[in-house]
Amino acid sequence: MSRGVDYAKLSVLVADDFSSFRHTVSGMLSSLGVKKIELASNAREAIQCCEHKFFDLILCDYNLGDGRTGQHVLEELRHRGLINRQTLFLIVSAESSRTIVLCAYDCEPDDFLMKPINARMLQQRIERLVRQRDALAPAMRALDAKEHAVAAQVLEQVAGRQTRHAVAAQKMLGTVLLSQGDLDRAEALYTRALEVRQLDWARLGLAQVRQARGDLDLAGEWLQKIVEENPMFLPAYDSLAENWNKRGDRLQEQTAVQKAVEISPLSILRQKYLAIVAQENADLVTAVVAQRRVVKLGRLSCYGAAEDHFHFARLVADAIEQELDLGSDIGTEAINFLKNAKDAYPLEDSAACSVHLLEGRLHALAGRKPAAQESLTEAEALMYEGSEDIVLEVDRMHALFALGENPRAEALLNDLRVIFADDQRALERLDVFLSEPASASNSALVADINREGIDLYNHGRFDEALACFDRARTLFPRHVGIHLNIVQSLVGKLKETGRDQETVEECARALRRAGRLINTEHPQYTRFSRLKAMAHSAMGH
Amino acid sequence: MTDAQPLDFSTVLAASVHDMKNSVGMLLASLESVIEDTPPENDEQSRRFSTLHYEASRINSELIQLLTLYRMQNKVLPVRIDEHFVIDILEDQIARNHTLLETRGVAIELVCDHDLSWYFDDDLLGSVVQNILVNCVRYTHSAIRISAEVENDQLCITIADDGPGYPASMLVRPCCQLDEAEVTDGATHLGLYFAEKIAQSHRQNDVCGSIKLANGEPLGGGVFKVRIP
Repeated sequence: MSRGVDYAKLSVLVADDFSSFRHTVSGMLSSLGVKKIELASNAREAIQCCEHKFFDLILCDYNLGDGRTGQHVLEELRHRGLINRQTLFLIVSAESSRTIVLCAYDCEPDDFLMKPINARMLQQRIERLVRQRDALAPAMRALDAKEHAVAAQVLEQVAGRQTRHAVAAQKMLGTVLLSQGDLDRAEALYTRALEVRQLDWARLGLAQVRQARGDLDLAGEWLQKIVEENPMFLPAYDSLAENWNKRGDRLQEQTAVQKAVEISPLSILRQKYLAIVAQENADLVTAVVAQRRVVKLGRLSCYGAAEDHFHFARLVADAIEQELDLGSDIGTEAINFLKNAKDAYPLEDSAACSVHLLEGRLHALAGRKPAAQESLTEAEALMYEGSEDIVLEVDRMHALFALGENPRAEALLNDLRVIFADDQRALERLDVFLSEPASASNSALVADINREGIDLYNHGRFDEALACFDRARTLFPRHVGIHLNIVQSLVGKLKETGRDQETVEECARALRRAGRLINTEHPQYTRFSRLKAMAHSAMGH
Repeated sequence: MTDAQPLDFSTVLAASVHDMKNSVGMLLASLESVIEDTPPENDEQSRRFSTLHYEASRINSELIQLLTLYRMQNKVLPVRIDEHFVIDILEDQIARNHTLLETRGVAIELVCDHDLSWYFDDDLLGSVVQNILVNCVRYTHSAIRISAEVENDQLCITIADDGPGYPASMLVRPCCQLDEAEVTDGATHLGLYFAEKIAQSHRQNDVCGSIKLANGEPLGGGVFKVRIP
């Protein structure tokens, strides 16, 4: 009952860390008539096999030892283009349904096979999948050749026929149409599917169509409903995050990503996304935690990069400068991560330079001046005039300020403002060092946040006002006006609610921070002196 | 993890059940290759193989049930409903138990339209069929019949055997109730409880899935029916 599968022509790769399992499966395949069988005992071997050879079918264990999974293998094979859409990738697993469901949503292998398996099960599954592959092959070839219109045409034909491959063809057609912006046809397809059943994939598809049309409120409502009813449906969270992003609500965007990350903490790309959006929301604690996971997951994943380590170090240094409580070892951890980056990745000059600059900044923040000085010298030896790499220059400025070399830092800052005068994005990066943002976008942002905070202050809502100003301070740590607004809000709070110890300490800290940034020449110095006197009396000093 | 919370026994149990399931999986796979390499030479050997295989399969499916129930209680059981071909999950489970059926000398009949498709979680419904099937192998004389059809807008899968049938006490009580006394007696009917929970997790409009036990037609023994709207 081979039902049209020519086993002699099939090339198969079996990857499993147990040799007994590899050999059992290989025996089953031989008995079916398969001649071309390769075996791999771990993820690395499996990927190496695919570097040299094309496989029709890959049977890959989920748990491959050393923490690597079938999902890692599939992601890397796709990422590096080592397989095409014609290769059938089966995850063989003794894992629980939860893992499988998450894996299915995140990397979409062609099928799963639950252990224990036997020859008969294997045969049935291979035949089912090969028949489906053959039915969809013309569409797959077209997609691999990026001929989307051809693919859509073929898929439409298969989807319209009353065969067992119609559903697979419909799903694929929906994504092709969406990616091509053919929204009318996509909408018609999903609507038709939903007439029969409220299936998650079709509901998501329809919401995505609405989202693409710019109907953000309705799409958001639908997406919210989908995740409420099926909290494990990861692709819906991704669309939901995109929805909030398009609506300009970065906090809601972060919440959506955070939920997806809670459900599936092993997805490195989502953790990266979370670290970015949390940092933009000035939620450094969340950003640090997410970025730490990125670095750890990156050790096993094709999506890991040296830059992840640098970014962790940057976030940690920011957190230390803002006196956030992330444990006393966090600085050491960041330095170790930088060392790991050197060991794990071949670093070019600019990357090596980043490592030295970040090491310098972290040493300086921990009070190890000579070590910091040494790192900075090594970094500067690698930098050359006119390189105009804003990322490196920003790291260098941070290191100089951390070392207390303010005159050098200020001079460099002035040079950079001239060099990057026409580059808004670069100017935005320099804004953190300025007492007033130089870029138009950040000036507007600070003005907005400030206005909101002042409004809250005027209504006596001091805690909310403080939260607002704190966010602005995280974004622009050297903005004197914001620091003074914080002091003023704390004074207001002390007068209103009395002198509780915590607020008194907070007020003293805020005053110190403002004092470090301001001198007698500063235009706001008079305001600072007045606030200082008010604060001392409010604190009872 | 640095959370220093007191150990929750059910969590520990779930983790160790997971581990046991992997071991039993290995055991079953090795056993099947042993039977394949050295086929039984007489009835006595055949019976022993069959017992080994049956008990290991039973442990395996009970462990799967325990894990699933644990997840249901903790509300982390994902139900992933999609359109599937019914014959696929039935053939899968028959293939999975091929050795067991053969060593027991049980004839199996499958009656299902090749093009019958329905909406369900294939993984969960597959484990219900697996569970009932293994149970039937224990009680049947010589034959099992699995059939599937659509009745009143519900998918109805029937698993029948020619054994002595379900005891009268089980036919009358609602099976979703786990009886404390029975649990301590060792007769948990966990499989039926599991099957009912899985059936109920499938809803369409205001109808949810159900199971039903009977005796008699078509083979004269026990008849298990699961309905999915």
